[in-house]
Amino acid sequence: MTESKIMKTRVTELLGISYPVIQGGMAHIAEYHLASAVSEAGGLGVIASANGSAERVKKEIEALRERTDQPFGVNIMLLSPHAAEVAQMAAEEKVPVITTGAGNPEKYMSLWKSAGIKVIPVVASVALAKRMERCGADAVIAEGCEAGGHIGELTSMTLIPQIADEVEIPVIGAGGVGDGRGLAAMLILGAEGVQVGTRFVVAEESIAHENYKQKILKARDIDSVVTGRSCGHPIRSVRNPHTRKYIEMEKSGASFEELEYLALGSLRRAVEEGDLENGNFMAGQIAGLIHKEQPCREILEELVTEAEALLGGSKPWER
Amino acid sequence: MLNELQEIIAEKLGLSAEEVQPEKSLKDDLKADSLDLFDLVTELEEKYEIEIPTEDLDTLVTVQDVIDYIEKR
Repeated sequence: MTESKIMKTRVTELLGISYPVIQGGMAHIAEYHLASAVSEAGGLGVIASANGSAERVKKEIEALRERTDQPFGVNIMLLSPHAAEVAQMAAEEKVPVITTGAGNPEKYMSLWKSAGIKVIPVVASVALAKRMERCGADAVIAEGCEAGGHIGELTSMTLIPQIADEVEIPVIGAGGVGDGRGLAAMLILGAEGVQVGTRFVVAEESIAHENYKQKILKARDIDSVVTGRSCGHPIRSVRNPHTRKYIEMEKSGASFEELEYLALGSLRRAVEEGDLENGNFMAGQIAGLIHKEQPCREILEELVTEAEALLGGSKPWER
Repeated sequence: MLNELQEIIAEKLGLSAEEVQPEKSLKDDLKADSLDLFDLVTELEEKYEIEIPTEDLDTLVTVQDVIDYIEKR
């Protein structure tokens, strides 16, 4: 594989990867086919636990390990009813990297650190980033609201530099990165790596239904919508009849239970069945920029080659 | 202690000090979300030079709980 000579950052050194690119831990999509392809191609592939049991996630890890011996990560969604058992299993399996979302992973930190695991929580605020640094996180993923799926309030443009100013550990920027311009911008804003989601949904190795990939490939900028603001759990998707219905129900004051019922299973319907009416096609705002289905290797090489050309030899992460 | 903490909490949540009464729940009455609470806890840790471990976070439900916690520390 081509090694990027000027893209060595603390993130590549920390994780033992060639390119400072982590693939997002997207529920149902971030499974072993995609994750192993990203890792083999020089990034960090990540398996998403989502709401899966420890046994199920362990099978994914085993399948990934049959395909690659490169570093990989497991994303643990802390609101999952199985979070504790997945956390324990991941420690026993000595996965190289754990990323976390939807909460505070403090209580698992000593378990994971004593298993020699690199821990990288996703954070949506400066205070949370500082707290994660204090309790031993190796890096943080600062995710702006341009991202697909569950989002916070701040944009990447504003969140990454504020967090980078306040912590010493490496910051990995997420939300809105679709090509080398996004990677270069993140590095200038203070990140030393990026997490990319939407662009990997349309990777050749991604098992997302062809309809899901086409939704992203055909999306325009204005097709990005957010559902769930009224419940305090905003989710970004490409709009379709499902999101339209959801938003109308929110506006007319539907109850939390009614909205939950509508949302239940909608992501799985999109990923596995390509259900254009009732599926929820989660994706970031950058979907409108993405027009090609490509192998992971090409995606990574393009991201880094384009960013290198823009940076013209400068290394903002070394300031 | 009450006045000082009322002002800190009010400032963090964008409220007036009068709204921050001891019996009020941070989440349910004062509408603090999880990021607000982390921000508040960070401020309290820096101001009072203490560390507030994870297991104590869940005990800070009302304004009075925060006052009692800080006074004990």
